[in-house]
Amino acid sequence: MKLIKATRREFSFLMDREEKLSLFKLLEMYPLIPAAYQRLSKSDDRLENQQLLEEALSEQRRENKKKIAALFTSGSAFREQEEGCIFTLRASRVDWLLQVLNDVNVGSWLILGSPEQPRKMATPLTPKTAPFFWASNLSGHFQFALIQAMSGEADGVKE
Amino acid sequence: MAETVTPEVLPDVKPVDKTEERSRIEPGYLVVCWNDPVNSIEFVIYVFQRVFGWSKAKATRHTLQVHEQGKSVLTRASLEQAEHYVHQLQKFSLHATMERD
Repeated sequence: MKLIKATRREFSFLMDREEKLSLFKLLEMYPLIPAAYQRLSKSDDRLENQQLLEEALSEQRRENKKKIAALFTSGSAFREQEEGCIFTLRASRVDWLLQVLNDVNVGSWLILGSPEQPRKMATPLTPKTAPFFWASNLSGHFQFALIQAMSGEADGVKE
Repeated sequence: MAETVTPEVLPDVKPVDKTEERSRIEPGYLVVCWNDPVNSIEFVIYVFQRVFGWSKAKATRHTLQVHEQGKSVLTRASLEQAEHYVHQLQKFSLHATMERD
């Protein structure tokens, strides 16, 4: 995924077809983190506040799933070209996509047993674990491209 | 004839729990980010910048502290502010909690 155009309002990335398919597969896996994974506090477990947090996170997941469905059906977000596909993302949506991708990244890592070295194949690769190892690694690839775009660090791109 | 005096009924007033009230506004909570091996350093720096509006240098300092020391206290805040920050960090799936100071 290569940033080819950046304005204040949106970013355009060139992706090959495999990358587009991979991104779609990752988004289809969302959400992976269990609802009760996040704790408000380690020392002060007030049930009411914890419940509020879980409700807020659940609501956020519902909204994210709607946005993912909208992205899949959007005619303007992905434009097929000869050399691949142009993915256009509004700048205001970058944080949202990073959140979704990192849920898949962290959720996959949890499913793999929270290995100390997530990028190494500590867990035996089986048909059951392989998709999560793939997802954890690949989501990092897309996250890196998005962060570079937001930081203005991608090479040779003019506003 | 003596006037009938209607007893005055005062509305129930729930006593204000001053401790609870104070904890909502006083910066008595620490927002802590804990280390995990799955989030990249670049990602954590980015999230700290977005959530707290920090410079890259400050976000990097805290990220390296998380990485090297296992945790970093990101800010001291009131109950409501701390809840807000923790929620924002958890939206990015970072391991963040709030602890009483």
